[in-house]
Amino acid sequence: MRAYKCLRPGRVGPFSGYSWPVGDWVEGDGAMLCMRGIHACRTRDLPYWLTQELWEIELEGPVQQERRKLVADRGRLIQRVEAWNGASAVSFAEDCASRARERAERANGDDAALLGELAGDAAVNAAKGEAALVGYIAARSAELDGGVDGYMEERLAQARWLAAELRLAAP
Amino acid sequence: MLISEDLTCRELVELVTEYLEGTLPPSDRDRFEQHVILCDGCAFHLDQMRTAVAVTGSLSEESITPEAQETLLRVFRDWKSG
Amino acid sequence: MAQVEAAEAELLDALRAGQESAFSALVQKYHTSILRVARLYVSSPATAEEVAQETWLAVLNGIDRFEGRSTLKTWIFRIVTNIARTRGQRDARSIPFSSLGEETTEPAVEPDRFAPAGRWAGHWKSYPERWDTLPEERLVGAETRARVQRVIDRLPLTQRQVITLRDVEGWEPEEVCSALEISETNQRVLLHRARSKVRQALEGYLES
Repeated sequence: MRAYKCLRPGRVGPFSGYSWPVGDWVEGDGAMLCMRGIHACRTRDLPYWLTQELWEIELEGPVQQERRKLVADRGRLIQRVEAWNGASAVSFAEDCASRARERAERANGDDAALLGELAGDAAVNAAKGEAALVGYIAARSAELDGGVDGYMEERLAQARWLAAELRLAAP
Repeated sequence: MLISEDLTCRELVELVTEYLEGTLPPSDRDRFEQHVILCDGCAFHLDQMRTAVAVTGSLSEESITPEAQETLLRVFRDWKSG
Repeated sequence: MAQVEAAEAELLDALRAGQESAFSALVQKYHTSILRVARLYVSSPATAEEVAQETWLAVLNGIDRFEGRSTLKTWIFRIVTNIARTRGQRDARSIPFSSLGEETTEPAVEPDRFAPAGRWAGHWKSYPERWDTLPEERLVGAETRARVQRVIDRLPLTQRQVITLRDVEGWEPEEVCSALEISETNQRVLLHRARSKVRQALEGYLES
């Protein structure tokens, strides 16, 4: 099954430090300390895991559907999603930051000040292209504003942005 | 990550060994990894811990000294002839 | 693993037949590990060498009786710990570490590295350094290893045992729990504390 994988520059796993080859099958219990199985993302999972590199991955064996990731026995990188780069990371983050700003502007009452702070944080980090961080700040502001439902909606909006801009499978 | 699931850096550093051992329950492992994605400080700390384990592992690379090898061969020959 | 056991079974047969090359091969494989385990119990490298010699003699004298019900590694480990413990008690010299009971709480990282209060309570005041950008020589050098060895030598006994068997000798968690007669949780806590101290010592050395 096809899915996505977020890696640090040089195809390095963000938790394992493992250097992924392209095209070769990698076993889940092999070189990676601390990992049981290969981790990958559905489109809707991506906002939680965004790093500098986005890759398409093919998974083999039974695939466990966890709450925010997929776990499989083996996987191999197919190709990089070139459309995900520094510039698109900034665009993604700015999109999140604008929603955070709207929430802050609409808000009244106790949360207005905090929502304002979060919107400020989002804007500062968006300019730096901190995609995962701004996604998180925006989701936090959405949770403050609209509870768990608000949080989920924001994360879905983020996944939709990625699917549309990067031509990924629909979330 | 929902506010209710937040992990601080101070809490995370206590979970590193369990994470590397693979013994964190899935929800805690998620929280741990979510935090590492968002927090460069903890990403560097995790890498430092992995490096410390690797350096400790390299202590096993020393080989037996020729003197020790000689001594033990004598032990063997004595034992064999005894 | 079955391959390793089969190869060792052959080696043991050759040893029983008196082949010196078989003994040489076993010595190459296990001697430094035996020394390290001995050092968990005795204070001086010289005493550890003596313990190791006694261990090899005991292995040779017991080789006919070794039935392979445990692995060779486990059998050798039992022998060296018995000999080393006895020597360690007889020597009764104080070893330079604090073994007066484990402290109940030992934070992995000094608490003052984290913000105590406010919005960022519990977060790093300043980030740890990146070690992945350090030149490789700094991490693989003899001086670095010596530092780590010194830290390990100064750990409380149980922490020293766990980190040596797990991270230096590469034993599986279950093997360590069984050999030291401790629970998995206990083993993990000890490993965590020991590794945290190694990391801290490395930080002091690499970043000075």
